[in-house]
Amino acid sequence: MTVHDPCVPFGMLSFLRFALTAALALPLFAATIDVRVQGARGGGVRDAVVYAVPEGRTLPLARRTAVMDQKNRMFIPHVLPVQTGTSVRFPNSDDIRHHVYSFSPAKPFQLPLYKGTPANPEVFDKAGVVTLGCNIHDQMTAFIIVVDTPYFEKTPANGRALLRDVTPGRYTLHVWYPDMRDEPKPQSIHVTGDERISATFMTR
Amino acid sequence: MAVSTFRARLLYLIIAVLVLLETGTLVSVHYAGQRALRRSITEELRVGARVLDRILDTRARQLSDSLSLLVRDFPFREAVASADLPTVISVLENHGKRIDADVVVLVGLDGTVTADTVGGRMVGRRFPFAEMLHVAEENADGQASATLSFANRPYQFVIVPVLAPRAIAWVAAGFEIDDKVLRDVADLTSLDVSMWSSAAAGKPLFISTLRPEERNDLVGHIETHADLRPILSGQNMPQKPIETSLELGHATYATYLRPLATGDRSRVYTLVQGSLEKAQRPFVTLERQVFALSFLILLIAVLAAVLFARTVSRPLQVLADGAGRIERGDYISPIVVKQEDEIGHLATAFNAMQAAIAAREHQIMFQSTHDALTGLPNRSQFLSRVSHDIAASKRLATTNGSGPSVGMIVMDVDRFKDVNDTLGHNFGDQLLVEIGRRLRQTIDAVHTIGSTDKVSRLGGDEFAVRFTAADATDIAARVGTAFHAPFVLGDVSIEVNASLGIAIYPDHAGDADTLIKRADIAMYEAKKNQAGVAVYDSGRDEHSLRRLSLMMELRQAIAGDQLELYYQPKIDIATARVVHAEALVRWNHPRHGVMRPDEFIPLAEQSGKIGLITKWVIRKAIAQCAAWRRDGLDLTVAVNLSALDLFDSELPTFISGLLSDAALPPEKLVLEITESAVMKDAAYAQKILADLKRRGLCLAIDDFGTGYSSLAHLKRLPVDELKIDKSFVQNLTESAADDLVIVRSTIELGHNMGLVVIAEGVETAESWGILKRLGCDMAQGYYMSPPLAVGAIGDWFRSSEWGTGEAQRLRGA
Repeated sequence: MTVHDPCVPFGMLSFLRFALTAALALPLFAATIDVRVQGARGGGVRDAVVYAVPEGRTLPLARRTAVMDQKNRMFIPHVLPVQTGTSVRFPNSDDIRHHVYSFSPAKPFQLPLYKGTPANPEVFDKAGVVTLGCNIHDQMTAFIIVVDTPYFEKTPANGRALLRDVTPGRYTLHVWYPDMRDEPKPQSIHVTGDERISATFMTR
Repeated sequence: MAVSTFRARLLYLIIAVLVLLETGTLVSVHYAGQRALRRSITEELRVGARVLDRILDTRARQLSDSLSLLVRDFPFREAVASADLPTVISVLENHGKRIDADVVVLVGLDGTVTADTVGGRMVGRRFPFAEMLHVAEENADGQASATLSFANRPYQFVIVPVLAPRAIAWVAAGFEIDDKVLRDVADLTSLDVSMWSSAAAGKPLFISTLRPEERNDLVGHIETHADLRPILSGQNMPQKPIETSLELGHATYATYLRPLATGDRSRVYTLVQGSLEKAQRPFVTLERQVFALSFLILLIAVLAAVLFARTVSRPLQVLADGAGRIERGDYISPIVVKQEDEIGHLATAFNAMQAAIAAREHQIMFQSTHDALTGLPNRSQFLSRVSHDIAASKRLATTNGSGPSVGMIVMDVDRFKDVNDTLGHNFGDQLLVEIGRRLRQTIDAVHTIGSTDKVSRLGGDEFAVRFTAADATDIAARVGTAFHAPFVLGDVSIEVNASLGIAIYPDHAGDADTLIKRADIAMYEAKKNQAGVAVYDSGRDEHSLRRLSLMMELRQAIAGDQLELYYQPKIDIATARVVHAEALVRWNHPRHGVMRPDEFIPLAEQSGKIGLITKWVIRKAIAQCAAWRRDGLDLTVAVNLSALDLFDSELPTFISGLLSDAALPPEKLVLEITESAVMKDAAYAQKILADLKRRGLCLAIDDFGTGYSSLAHLKRLPVDELKIDKSFVQNLTESAADDLVIVRSTIELGHNMGLVVIAEGVETAESWGILKRLGCDMAQGYYMSPPLAVGAIGDWFRSSEWGTGEAQRLRGA
């Protein structure tokens, strides 16, 4: 599986190595999908996850691992998009214990009261939204968005995300965001070459 | 009685005002109380409703909290998340029991019931209380609660989300509201609380703290009450609270009905009710207290009014009694009111008035009983005293057999009118005062008579003295001494005489009035006789009375034209023709007929009316003379003057005035004066006569030969004529030697003194012949003519042989 994902997520030190690896593997022909997730009031939607799922094929796992940290009684990040099959570690950076659980069908699991980093990461091998909670701290929630594509991105505050180096082919462009009730209609995209494609999702 | 009426009126007024006030107070207290009661009961009911709300709210919150804790239970969530229905149902039942929920329902996020504890009846259906879901979604904690009707029973439902950690479903738990909840409210508020749960279908359930019979009544009311009825039918259900009054059992209940929550198709109503009777109880007590207090105040006020009225009416009674005493003439007992207020002032004023009335009455009494000028008792007082004396004497006579005599002396000052006329009324008044004083002095000196009020002034110049059991003559003599000394007033010294008449009870009269009349008669007798004093002689009574009444009537006669002049001609003997006519006054008395002068002239002289008569006669005679003169009869008219006329200094002026008014020469009037009159006060009379003579009037001495005039005196009189008294002429015959001598000598005497001699009483041709022979100048008498009235004398002038030539000439023409 080739790593296509060019995105360096927000200067996190833990991702630097993957970023360097990705830079070495840049394809010749790749499109950029410019997605804008617009809120009901016209502003951008933060922490929305946009992802393009290839039609009729699967793409190799781009990155094997991801981290869902727990710090100051918060999950960090709040929204974590991962490709199907990614192993996610749940290190506990707090002094207190947490009891991470999920009742989501995509990945029900629980990490009963623990400290530090559990020995084994959890593998998310089924696409879907996994809602994370801490049984001790009700306010702690996070989402792991498991998608069948390496082309996904999370929006910053302006609600804009670029899916880079998308190889030609047909894709279905999806969006997810927290508190989403009904998913905005997915958009079909045909990537032919080195191009820039714009797409907009209107949320309700 | 006026006092009691006043007291009663005061009482009535106070009672009426108080009753009015207190009734007003009671009524306003009652209505204000009822209003306040209504307000307070309404408020109480609302508070009760709020308490119920609060209790339900609290319960809901507790239930909600319990439920939300429950759904946080990890195994519970795990079980729910497992989506294994039997497991889910069992966990709902299990956990529901922990919080005593009557029903627990798991609702999917889409509002569909996925599991329940009521045998799956609700599974697959929409959760019946969708509104709760909306509310929960809106709420930050995702919870909601409601009171609503479930299975036709009142329920509290709470709903909370199942968090995993995001909401994956709802759990709703229902708790039936039972009597206990209502009893809690009732205990807190002392109100009755009912709850009425209704749904579109099915029979509503009704729970209440009311007793069964009241509950039945309430159901009956709801079935019949127009506003409440929709609760049963579920149609047009009331949305707003209803406040009304309902009869439950035997009491009236203020009722506050309110929809508790609005479910989609179900409703719960709460009725909060309070017994009005119970609420009114403290007000009734208050009203009773106010009523009792009012009655007490009324009682006290009436008591105070009675006391006050007494303090007012009692002195008023004293005042009224005092006024009554004053009315009866008691001016001595004062009104005693020991109050410093208005009534006290009134009493003082009454007393002052009493004193003033007493003083004035005393003064009036004195004035009515005393003479203002002399201060002596007046006639009526004198008579009353005499009556008193007579009565006392009579009383003594009945007990002792004989009483003392009561006598009186009536005295009249001689010629007082002359004093007034010559020296002025002021002098006259002073003289009267002095006479009174002297009389009193004199009487005081007579010990047997006694006190000062024995002397009285009867009026004018008449005084009287009364006495008892004393010798009348002695008293009279003593009274007479009062006039002995001349009266000296200023520079004038005057001698005053008085005529005294005495009458004595029981000798002369039986009562005071008759006694004074008889004393009067005696006094006139004394005056007439110039005797100074006379005791009443009963034989003269009738005559005297007639004289007295004539005296009274004289003035009226003069004013009322009852006097008439007759004329008797005097014939000139030489020519046998009438030359003079003597005017003789007649009184045509309404009862006594024609009266001759000798019947009333003396009375006129005595009563001082002679002056008036003389003037009347002179005026008439001059007028007649002038009338004859106009008819061509040149006659001289003769008029008689009284002796008293010679004291009237104004007479000459009066006569001259009349003569000149009538344009008559003075010598046409002859004034005849009797010899005695001239002799009486010769000096004064002579002055008047001289005056008259100076004015050219003709003067004649009348009745010559009857008086005792000295020839020397006669010689000094300025007279022109001499009339021989008829007593010498009437019987004059050739054989009557005496009369013949007297007549002849008189004629000669007169002629020698240069006087015209006239003979009166010529009744026969013989005497006419003798007189003619003796050389008498004129004759007058029945032989020629009697005195005739004016009309008759006119005829005589024309027809008689002695008549005037002119008349015959006229007739001939």
